[in-house]
Amino acid sequence: MTESYGISRRELLGRSGTVAAVAATVPLAVADTAPARATTGEVGVRMTVNGSVTPLTVDPRETLLDVLRERLHLTGTKKGCDRGQCGACTVHVDGERVVSCLTLAATLGGSRVTTIEGLARGDRLHPLQQAFIDHDGFQCGFCTSGQIMSAAAVLADGRARTDDEVREQMSGNLCRCGAYPGIVAAIQQARKEAS
Amino acid sequence: MREFRFERPGTVADAVRRPAPGTAFLAGGTTLVDLMKLEVMTPARVLDINRLPLRGIDQTRDGLRIGALERMRDVAAHDLVRRRYPMLAQALEASASGQLRNMASIGGNLLQRTRCGYFRDVSVPCNKRAPGSGCPAIEGENRMHAVLGASDACVATHPSDLAVALVALDATVRLRSRAGTRDVALRDFHLLPGTTPEREHDLRPGELVTDVIVPDLGWASRSVYVKIRDRQSYEFALASAAVAVRRDGDTIAEARVAVGGMGTRPWRLPAVEAALAGRPAAEASYTAAAEHATDGVRPLRHNAFKPALMRRTLVRALLELERIR
Amino acid sequence: MSVSPIGRETARVDGPLKVTGRAPYAADYHPDGLVHGHLVLATVGRGTLRAMDVTRAEAAPGVIAVYTPFQPVRLINTFQGFGAENYVPLQDTTVRFRGQIIGLVVAGTFEQARDAAALITADYAGTPPRTSLADAGPGRSQDIVQVLAPGVASIDDVLRAGPVTITTTVTQPAQHHVAMEPHATTATWEDDQLTVYSGAQMPQRSAPAIAAGLGIDPAKVRLICRYTGGGFGGRSPAWNEAKLCAAAARALGRPLKVVLSREQVFTTVGHRPAVRQTVRLAAQADGRLLALAHDSDAEYPAAGGWPLIPAQHTSGVLYRTPNLRLDQRLVTLDTPSTWAMRAPGEAPGSFALETALDELAARTGVDPVELRLRNYATQHPVEGRPFSSKHLDQCYRLGATRFGWDRRPARPRSRTDGDWLIGMGMSTAAYPTDREAATVRVRFHDNGRVSVASGTSDLGTGAWTVLAVAGADTLGLPVEVIVPELGDSALPPGGVGAVGSAVTANTMPAVRAAGRAAIGTLLRAAVENPRSPFHGLDPADVSYRQGRLHSGRRSMGFDELLRAIGTPALDAIGATDPAQDSPYAFHSFGAHFCEVRVHRLTAEIRVNRFTSVFDVGTVINARTARSQFIGGIIWGIGHALLEADPIEPDGRYAAATMADYLVPVNADIPDIDVHWLGYPDPHISESGARGLGELGTVASAAAVGNAVYNATGIRVHDLPITLDKLL
Ligand SMILES: Cc1cc2nc3c(=O)[nH]c(=O)nc-3n(C[C@H](O)[C@H](O)[C@H](O)COP(=O)(O)OP(=O)(O)OC[C@H]3O[C@@H](n4cnc5c(N)ncnc54)[C@H](O)[C@@H]3O)c2cc1C
Ligand code: SF4
Ligand code: FES
Ligand code: FES
Repeated sequence: MTESYGISRRELLGRSGTVAAVAATVPLAVADTAPARATTGEVGVRMTVNGSVTPLTVDPRETLLDVLRERLHLTGTKKGCDRGQCGACTVHVDGERVVSCLTLAATLGGSRVTTIEGLARGDRLHPLQQAFIDHDGFQCGFCTSGQIMSAAAVLADGRARTDDEVREQMSGNLCRCGAYPGIVAAIQQARKEAS
Repeated sequence: MREFRFERPGTVADAVRRPAPGTAFLAGGTTLVDLMKLEVMTPARVLDINRLPLRGIDQTRDGLRIGALERMRDVAAHDLVRRRYPMLAQALEASASGQLRNMASIGGNLLQRTRCGYFRDVSVPCNKRAPGSGCPAIEGENRMHAVLGASDACVATHPSDLAVALVALDATVRLRSRAGTRDVALRDFHLLPGTTPEREHDLRPGELVTDVIVPDLGWASRSVYVKIRDRQSYEFALASAAVAVRRDGDTIAEARVAVGGMGTRPWRLPAVEAALAGRPAAEASYTAAAEHATDGVRPLRHNAFKPALMRRTLVRALLELERIR
Repeated sequence: MSVSPIGRETARVDGPLKVTGRAPYAADYHPDGLVHGHLVLATVGRGTLRAMDVTRAEAAPGVIAVYTPFQPVRLINTFQGFGAENYVPLQDTTVRFRGQIIGLVVAGTFEQARDAAALITADYAGTPPRTSLADAGPGRSQDIVQVLAPGVASIDDVLRAGPVTITTTVTQPAQHHVAMEPHATTATWEDDQLTVYSGAQMPQRSAPAIAAGLGIDPAKVRLICRYTGGGFGGRSPAWNEAKLCAAAARALGRPLKVVLSREQVFTTVGHRPAVRQTVRLAAQADGRLLALAHDSDAEYPAAGGWPLIPAQHTSGVLYRTPNLRLDQRLVTLDTPSTWAMRAPGEAPGSFALETALDELAARTGVDPVELRLRNYATQHPVEGRPFSSKHLDQCYRLGATRFGWDRRPARPRSRTDGDWLIGMGMSTAAYPTDREAATVRVRFHDNGRVSVASGTSDLGTGAWTVLAVAGADTLGLPVEVIVPELGDSALPPGGVGAVGSAVTANTMPAVRAAGRAAIGTLLRAAVENPRSPFHGLDPADVSYRQGRLHSGRRSMGFDELLRAIGTPALDAIGATDPAQDSPYAFHSFGAHFCEVRVHRLTAEIRVNRFTSVFDVGTVINARTARSQFIGGIIWGIGHALLEADPIEPDGRYAAATMADYLVPVNADIPDIDVHWLGYPDPHISESGARGLGELGTVASAAAVGNAVYNATGIRVHDLPITLDKLL
């Protein structure tokens, strides 16, 4: 069924489809501490992405966001601004929400990264994902991965309880479609389910 | 982004050993990476200092010590900070976003660069970014710019909320270089633009901020930080005020007052503090004292409202303080 | 399955993909051999490029190609008098505005392309651009609409005579769509066949537009935009960046992806024009209108853009008045191309009109709701046609009750809550519904699924789900069985463009037509195919109900039939005709009510609550409709309080980032109470649905502004209404 909503692996990955769409481990390069290669030196990092150990050699200029999207093909994390100004790129590093566009991949050796692709358990949606559907907490869906990752951290943190507190905590995630009321309702539903 | 060498020193001594020009320390990266992408900052060498042991929030003989690499979020959430310096926690929580507060460090926060749109856009001149090229903000879009401490070379505000609260509290930054350790009062740490707006602080090449020290001030447990902005959240201040008051019955005995969004650096207002001392804790006193806030202001075309906003923000902050039991 | 899903709460069928990050947007495709492009934009406001130095960029690591006007990739200008851009990039050295595309760098990685682009320098012969609307005189009139009462020679006479007269001039600077997804194009060629992944509101128009720019047969271009991160008008044309990406991919013989940086979005893919408007009213002492004149001067870029007509569907529609004059003028400026932005004319126009009405209410002492009822129009004031179905009066009354309008202080600045001044305001929304031709394909599959395909697009509007709901309703099947298809120019021609709030209202009838036609095809196959158990029966004796074919006691599912006759799928196309001249005027309506608080000292403005009641005909999916309304209202809040991009004398936008161009954040938005009346429009189509996607955006800004006036006694005419204007 999902195929017919537009995911054709062939389209996404080209004819030979060399890269797994969802699996995190992509053998792009080698060691943990690769020495300089290009003029300024590439950096070896070994991070765990959605549970898979992922050794990479990165250009120091690469952000976590671009590594996820362009190299690991984990395109659920979105680039809305590339400047820390929108929240679309929110992921968890070592369990805390961050904007991946301002995180240099080279700094992440030994870190645990969780993206939207790593939130659901197999085919079972995470309660927040279901709550976003139930409350129509999105329209175009472009901000949604960031909203959900942000919301998961807000729930884990546990301090935001009232609607106003949730609104404030979620204000680092812009939604131009204006799904804010649905987002707040979804988070409150998930919070109540969890408690 | 220009290409650069990436290094991860393991000790403080390593980090400060080679103060080569063109070296930048990377903490949370929320200023540095952003400005490197825009090519406003173009270090040839980036030292990731996150492995350095510049952590911890603890009581010392000099006051509360906050390690420079402590994250904004952790400082805001810390029990000692919340109980003894509520204005610090409030200033931090009113800053940026939850994600950014998880990333950004205290040291980086004090060293963040101005949000002046011309500074951030390499296609236009800017004295701070390219000394001598000119300052388009003086005649341009300057609604967010400074009315205090500006010069003919630069009118950019210092954007940090935290720094405003720290200046009110007489905080000190502890610096470490090859030459050793020194403490500098935060009030003197940030520099006025004068004719050299590219020099923003008293930090020598290769020098590292290791700690921030907040002296004990018992009555700062009654303090507030009020931030005024167009949007309710996720925006820099149009105006902000950090205030603490020691009361003697219904009379103000002592006050600490600093404002943000107004000055080219975090702005302490001793004249307002003096005008408050000995007055009854009432709106009329606040209004009268706030008049002194705007001594020497130089408004620009689009920010003529700022002096009035600053006075009103101060009155509001003092009123909010009254409501705290 | 017998309960129709129409009007119920159907969860988005694309929801699971979107909440798991698996829905692919334009920049999410990675064809083999993909390379990355980065644009270079002009940094002067007007002039000629004398030279560009690309040597350092070409020598930078990973760089594959650099294109500029001095080393172009060929594109053809197909501009024919109307369109967003009247030029194509890199074909000449003219700089029309600051931020125009003057180069493209292609490299192996995103970082290499971006960083090489920064090494390019350009030498210009510049001339001062015209950028200030305020400094420009009145613009060129487009057609002037005028209705005068018998014996009136000039509306000015009535406007002067009164007894009550109001003149309201409002301004707003440029505003931007700021869709969350920056425009992105991934182009890949297979021989002479081009596939483009790029967000588009009208894929079946964008694909041929790209083909024309490349000078190739439109049949050779396929545009795919199944998931798009917002449109709001900013993705209705195919912009130059998409054409350039496709052309460079062809020249290089490699798949190419060009993603605009957020800053580049502000100048290369349209914005809502800056506009100055004046509304003049003459009324009797009881508020009844004697004359209404609405003039506008809107930014119109020399490089091409959207001709803004803010009065047409606002002042030209809303109130009964014996004298009416609309003069909508365009002012040529050297600014980036403008384009329609959500309720393009209606949002700015309604702010002007509904602010003026509020001033009239204040002047006459008539309650703002009562004032609107006194001037209620039952027929279109210009065209004279009756409205097809208008229950706006009920919107006012119901909205007033739900909101508690009776608690509004009649005197401004007379209610407080602690340190906050409280105020309430209201306004009226209207938005026209176009009746367009539409084509849909319904296909029965032997696996029990039915696909419903339309060449339209879903920008977040809910079209995926509407297709599923409409298909389920037409065929008497559960929604889960329907497989919608859209966002692909290769689908049957005739998809409704996702503009003008038109998709649902116009696609619904086509789904019905296609469903009926497909059932006909199924029945014919049932009686004609020798392997069918219904073979040889009189077609009139076989019927279709809820996915099954029946004749006498014989009954079988469509999938069983298809398997029996060995046919994997059977389909039919259904089409509706464009509207013939109708005796009716089709408009959706609504009433907004807003409460704000303004701090007595620091004047921050916060919206406390918002209630809106709409009259839109049949609502197909309550859940996505509500989201559209709420999203629209949030746009109105941004319009009123936050959104502005000042332009500088050199043509530079001063707020072209997501931190400086403020859109509302979560904390700015209170609970929003949205309600709609349930009157199907009897004249629009058998489904009774009019458009609703933009309606929430219309006049919601005025409700906020009117509430600010009620709270403070201060009327701000220059948007946005920021605290500095209230100190
Ligand atoms: C969208 C957005 C909104 C924001 N809103 C706010 C706001 O409302 N209020 C506010 O106060 N701030 C705001 N910020 C700024 C944010 O707080 C700062 O970017 C952050 O605090 C910087 O800390 P960092 O650790 O990320 O610094 P980095 O980016 O790592 O470093 C910043 C600078 O300090 C230097 N540096 C860092 N640590 C040290 C050290 N220990 N010793 C010597 N030099 C050092 C670096 O070399 C660099 O020059 C916002 C930022 C963004 C992106
Ligand atoms: S105000 Fe300062 S930072 Fe801004 S343009 Fe002028 S010199 Fe540069
Ligand atoms: S893309 Fe990272 S915050 Fe916008
Ligand atoms: S759902 Fe479109 S931006 Fe949030």
